[in-house]
Amino acid sequence: MMSSLTATERSRAFMITMTVLLGGLVMAAVGHGDPIGMQGWVVILFTAVVGVVLLKSFDAPDPVEDRSASYYDDPTRVGIIIALIWAVIGMGVGLWVASMLAWPNLRFDAAWSSFGRVRPVHTSGVIFGFGGNALIATSFHIMQRTSRARMPNQVLPWFVLIGFNLFCVIAASGYLMGITQSKEYAEPEWYADLWLVVVWVAYFILYMRTLARRNEPHIYVANWYYLAFILVVAVLHIVNNLAIPASLTGAKSYSAFAGVQDAMTQWWYGHNAVAFFLTSGFLGMLYYFLPKRAGRPIYSYRLSILSFWGIVFFYIWAGSHHLHYTALPHWVQTLGMTFSVMLLVPSWASAGNALMTLNGAWHKVRDDATLRFMMVAAVFYGLSTFEGSFMAIRPVNGLSHYTDWTVGHVHAGAMGWVALISFGSIYALTPVLWRREAMYSWKAVELHFWLALSGTVIYVFAMWNSGIIQGLMWRTYGETGTLKYSFLESMIAMHPYYVARALGGLLFLAGACVGLWNVLMTVRHMPRHAPERDYPTSSEATEPAVPAAE
Amino acid sequence: MSILSLLIPVTLVMGLVGLASFFWSLRNGQYEDLEGDAERILYDEDDRPLPSRTYKSPKEPTP
Amino acid sequence: MTLVDGDAAEQLMSPLQQGAARRSLRTARDGGAICLLSVPDIRCGGCVSKIERALNARDDVASARVNLSLKRVQITPSGSRADPALFIAALDRLGFAASAADDATATPDPTGNGLLRATAVAGFGAMNIMLLSVAVWSGALGTTRDAFHLLSAMIAVPVVLYAGQPFFSSAWSALRVRRVNMDVPITLAVLLATVLSLAELLQGGEQLFFDAAVTLLFFLLGGRYLDQMMRERASSAINGLARLAPSGAMVRRPDGALAYVELEEVKPGDRLVVSAGEYVPVDAQVSEGSTDLDRSLITGEPLPVLASPGDMIEAGTLNLTGSVEAVALRPAAESFLAQMIRMQSEAERNRGTYERIANRAARLYAPVVHLMALLTFLSWLWTTDGDWQQALFVAISVLIITCPCALGLAVPVAHVVAAGRLMRMGVLMKDGAGIERLANIDAAVFDKTGTLTTGRPRLEPVIADVADLSAARGLAIRSSHPAAKAIAADLVAEPAAVVEQVQEVPGYGIEGRIDGRRARLGRGDWVAEIAGEPASSPTDPAFAFAGGAPIGFEVTETLRDGVHDTFDAFSRGGLDLVILSGDSRERVMHLSHDLVLTDICAGMKPADKVSYLENMRHEGRRPLMVGDGLNDAGALAAAHVSMAPSSASDAGRTAADFVFLRKGLDAVAATHRVACRTAAVVRQNFTLAICYNCIAIPLAVAGLVTPLIAALAMSASSILVIGNSLRLSASPEKLRHGTRRRRLKKAAT
Ligand code: HEM
Ligand code: HEM
Repeated sequence: MMSSLTATERSRAFMITMTVLLGGLVMAAVGHGDPIGMQGWVVILFTAVVGVVLLKSFDAPDPVEDRSASYYDDPTRVGIIIALIWAVIGMGVGLWVASMLAWPNLRFDAAWSSFGRVRPVHTSGVIFGFGGNALIATSFHIMQRTSRARMPNQVLPWFVLIGFNLFCVIAASGYLMGITQSKEYAEPEWYADLWLVVVWVAYFILYMRTLARRNEPHIYVANWYYLAFILVVAVLHIVNNLAIPASLTGAKSYSAFAGVQDAMTQWWYGHNAVAFFLTSGFLGMLYYFLPKRAGRPIYSYRLSILSFWGIVFFYIWAGSHHLHYTALPHWVQTLGMTFSVMLLVPSWASAGNALMTLNGAWHKVRDDATLRFMMVAAVFYGLSTFEGSFMAIRPVNGLSHYTDWTVGHVHAGAMGWVALISFGSIYALTPVLWRREAMYSWKAVELHFWLALSGTVIYVFAMWNSGIIQGLMWRTYGETGTLKYSFLESMIAMHPYYVARALGGLLFLAGACVGLWNVLMTVRHMPRHAPERDYPTSSEATEPAVPAAE
Repeated sequence: MSILSLLIPVTLVMGLVGLASFFWSLRNGQYEDLEGDAERILYDEDDRPLPSRTYKSPKEPTP
Repeated sequence: MTLVDGDAAEQLMSPLQQGAARRSLRTARDGGAICLLSVPDIRCGGCVSKIERALNARDDVASARVNLSLKRVQITPSGSRADPALFIAALDRLGFAASAADDATATPDPTGNGLLRATAVAGFGAMNIMLLSVAVWSGALGTTRDAFHLLSAMIAVPVVLYAGQPFFSSAWSALRVRRVNMDVPITLAVLLATVLSLAELLQGGEQLFFDAAVTLLFFLLGGRYLDQMMRERASSAINGLARLAPSGAMVRRPDGALAYVELEEVKPGDRLVVSAGEYVPVDAQVSEGSTDLDRSLITGEPLPVLASPGDMIEAGTLNLTGSVEAVALRPAAESFLAQMIRMQSEAERNRGTYERIANRAARLYAPVVHLMALLTFLSWLWTTDGDWQQALFVAISVLIITCPCALGLAVPVAHVVAAGRLMRMGVLMKDGAGIERLANIDAAVFDKTGTLTTGRPRLEPVIADVADLSAARGLAIRSSHPAAKAIAADLVAEPAAVVEQVQEVPGYGIEGRIDGRRARLGRGDWVAEIAGEPASSPTDPAFAFAGGAPIGFEVTETLRDGVHDTFDAFSRGGLDLVILSGDSRERVMHLSHDLVLTDICAGMKPADKVSYLENMRHEGRRPLMVGDGLNDAGALAAAHVSMAPSSASDAGRTAADFVFLRKGLDAVAATHRVACRTAAVVRQNFTLAICYNCIAIPLAVAGLVTPLIAALAMSASSILVIGNSLRLSASPEKLRHGTRRRRLKKAAT
């Protein structure tokens, strides 16, 4: 893999690795006695492994392939395998967290295994580890294919991919050591945040340079979605993580904002993270892989562009719906509520556009589990955005907030939409990337589909039930005007649902494991495919979605 | 809400960047053949980059 | 014309076609050459990739790109010596007919992009101001509110100045000629809302209408952009249809050499060479050779006529079979074709200006509203004892709230939706005025040839020996004479025999050798010359082997599908039905024997048709004209509203308000139905807008309108109007199903 780099590229990559390793050494040295020192060792270990991989093929001869004649797919290949590994880790930890809530003994009484430390490993593991890697890998693929041009550089994509994973590893290991900023989805401390800025800027530059080299004049809409994801996440990340380190030799930092100001910033970030990390980029995936797999153009290309602008503009101010009934001024809450409700329009436009694209190709959806993954993802996208807009209405939120309903909503979006569209895209992508005839086992894809779907449905239904019961129990008053149920009673009432959720999670995790296995087997055992394609070729592929009159 | 005096300008600037990129895309002729562009991603006879050709933007011709 | 195998096509492309191809060359901004071709048959992504791959693989192409929406190919040739004829030939080999693109479509209309830009700016402003306003409405107070107000102003003022321009300039040009259109009240409302809000802002007031002003602009611009886009799409689709008129001529120089000459440069006395398959460039007199001419687009005669030395041939007729030399009689500017076009523009001018519904509404509406605002001002002045500031505020809020946002959208949105619907049915609508006029027609006038008929004759069933039939078909496929084409197409069951030594004799038929036997297909008397016995009719086509028995063929004109349905639907709707034909009375009567008609006129000259329609209009009638020929162009322009099939002459398509791409004539009735429903929706939209005003105006006059109410009411009424218009496309009554059901019902009774 590294042998596709030239000797100069290899040595450049090695120098970068060593520089980062040096940074790790500095952290380890100055941070002695502070958790940051431990983090330094994590960096050293990570970069050392990367360095060894590089060194192993350091003396390999220079590649002779004609670079102008192919896309640079190695980072994409590695990226989707890493994404699947993170999926298994993140969902495995998720299953553990879920089981811990059902059977508290699974806590094991160690400091590092407390719920508060493991839970962010789950959230960061699935969102950044799985989702982030899937986004980076697919974006590398899509930007090259839709531009009909190769990336401008061979080292930069590796820097982005490996650098991003370094961030994820620092984050996850830090949580277990107890390092956190206490901002949800932005838990990593200042040094990790700074590193992510460097990686993200490199990512943006790589994307723009590839687009600038394009041989196809039109920039396909998926690229707009990915670009919005990269650009807005960068701005959000920087603003939300403005913090002053307590000391340069320690991990701890203090936010630049105080009290409710900080909360507002956090949820301005938090909801836009949902918008631009968990939605925009994945919509880019949807708009590329769904038409591609279905073999027919998107139902309304114009609508996909229009809803892009709608999503970009409406999402920005929806965040304050996370802070209903808090110290946040009432009008800011109302603002968030208004925009959240309006957000439904572009969201449903996207979901509808995806489903209308399939209208007329339902037989393919029936026969092809990969396409079905994408179809169900679009359905869940529509579902969770409807639910979200509903929950954003202040009185509704009064019931749902702090309850498992939120968790149900999250996973309808996260499992049903984000994970399913990623799996679908990965199944569509793997044979193309490795030039294989098809996936190793289509039965395994089928199995994965049903495991994932049933897992999601069980999980989400369990959480809806538990959330609403919880919310109602908390607000039921007895005849004397006191609360009728104690908190403990509501906890006991949750138990069966938590068990059900753990079961759902188990199924979903099993599906992810099957997926990882299937991809690895495809890489190892499937014969190479001569005409390098994996898409349906039937003649109807070229028919328009809506047959014109006559 | 003094924080809004940071968040609103940041958002406005992002919005302006969006508007500017829309203007760019319009001038660049990105929306001249939406039907065709939706179809284009579907071809995959040869999964390789095109040899770089210098395309002229379709808007240019002056009769 | 014989079949040409692929590689030879380039050499065989006629010099005329090569000359015409050169018209596709233009200079790009950077000075290089590009070639723009119109390729109407591009349908899907498959065609796009096929064409691009084939062209890009050529050495003489630097890059080729297909525009699927405009059905056009843009080629940047490599090297300096680009020959567009080669590209056309290459496309032809792929199965795509290409011709030089029209200048009109070469550069996209800049107003469309300007409107889109204005819409985007207004959208950006509306979003951000809405955000600030929602904050203020839901209780932001004190310095926050003041800051938000200031920020709104900073966004709103530039946005209004930029995005409002389309309305301002249109209103200004209307006012300058002392008229009012819809844009006058719109401009007034937007400007007043902005100025009033600025004034309020300076005084630290609470009531700002920035959001109302900008949202209003956004909605209206959106409607206007859609309108523009619809018209552009239809016109590019029409321009994309293959051009029939010749763009140049082949002239034989005194030294005997052939040269391509642009149409405008052909002089009387020039010796022209017109090959088979070409259109006659200018009116001329045949000097050498003879041929069959298809004059159906000129005169309405369905079957070709023979032209031999001494005969006149008109510009625009299609040369079917032989090559002739002719002497030009008139320059192109005076040819028959040019006369027809002049007649058309004359008729158009006489048609009188039709005032669009929206403007009629504005003429009523604007004075009422302005008067109301004035009265409000005066009465508030009176009741508040001269508090002119308060009075002015209320008066202006009356103007703002009555601003015809919904009214401004009532018509264009309905038309856009209807146009989209029609386009899906295969009917192109040129602009909204056409659909308004179509809704109130009281008569329908049809041309015969090419309109009621398919232009392709049909063969009546024949009973004969298989060997004879396959021999006849073998000859027929070699000829482009319509009768031969009908025989070739309708005898599909028979395999075509192999024919040698083919020879076509214009005016008579085609002859060849099959299995060594001489055989003829053509006029009965001509066939009888070699046959053993006379044919059943001397003029009808027949076939015979030398010495064999002739087989007579009967070739008749065929009605388009859906003619009966259309006539039924129209006569049920109480419309008068008329046929105007340039063809002989006998053939018209034969064709229309089972149609219920008010009037039948045969042998009409183009000018007769125009005066027929003008007479109708003088009597106050509102006729729809459906026609295709060059001879109909004037009539199409003279009618209240007009339709043409896509197979019509260039002039016919330009003159018509609607062009239908479908084969069946039922498109006419269906379009009429859509037009009527659109008119109904427009009326409902007006009613909705008026109801809204009935509620809003009293509130405004009473001084109860806050900016929140203004913005909400305006958005709500606009969305209501848009939603109501969308109903036009929501119930796609399937055309074909409709007619089939009716036919079944008819069969049952
Ligand atoms: C095997 C499947 C999964 C299981 C068993 C699981 C389980 C859990 C559990 C138990 C929690 C904590 C809920 C609480 O605090 O009450 C949680 C939270 C969360 N999970 Fe998962 N999860 C799974 C998959 C995913 C995936 C695929 C994603 C995202 C792509 C995801 C994103 C999240 C997020 C964002 C939260 C935080 C929710 C909040 O704070 O409201 N999970 N998950
Ligand atoms: C129209 C779109 C959406 C709206 C209006 C919306 C709205 C909401 C609301 C009101 C909450 C609960 C806030 C609270 O009570 O604390 C929430 C939570 C959440 N939503 Fe959505 N949602 C939308 C779409 C999505 C999608 C597509 C995802 C994708 C994964 C998603 C992920 C989340 C997450 C992760 C949380 C939990 C945040 C936390 O940790 O508390 N949302 N959303």
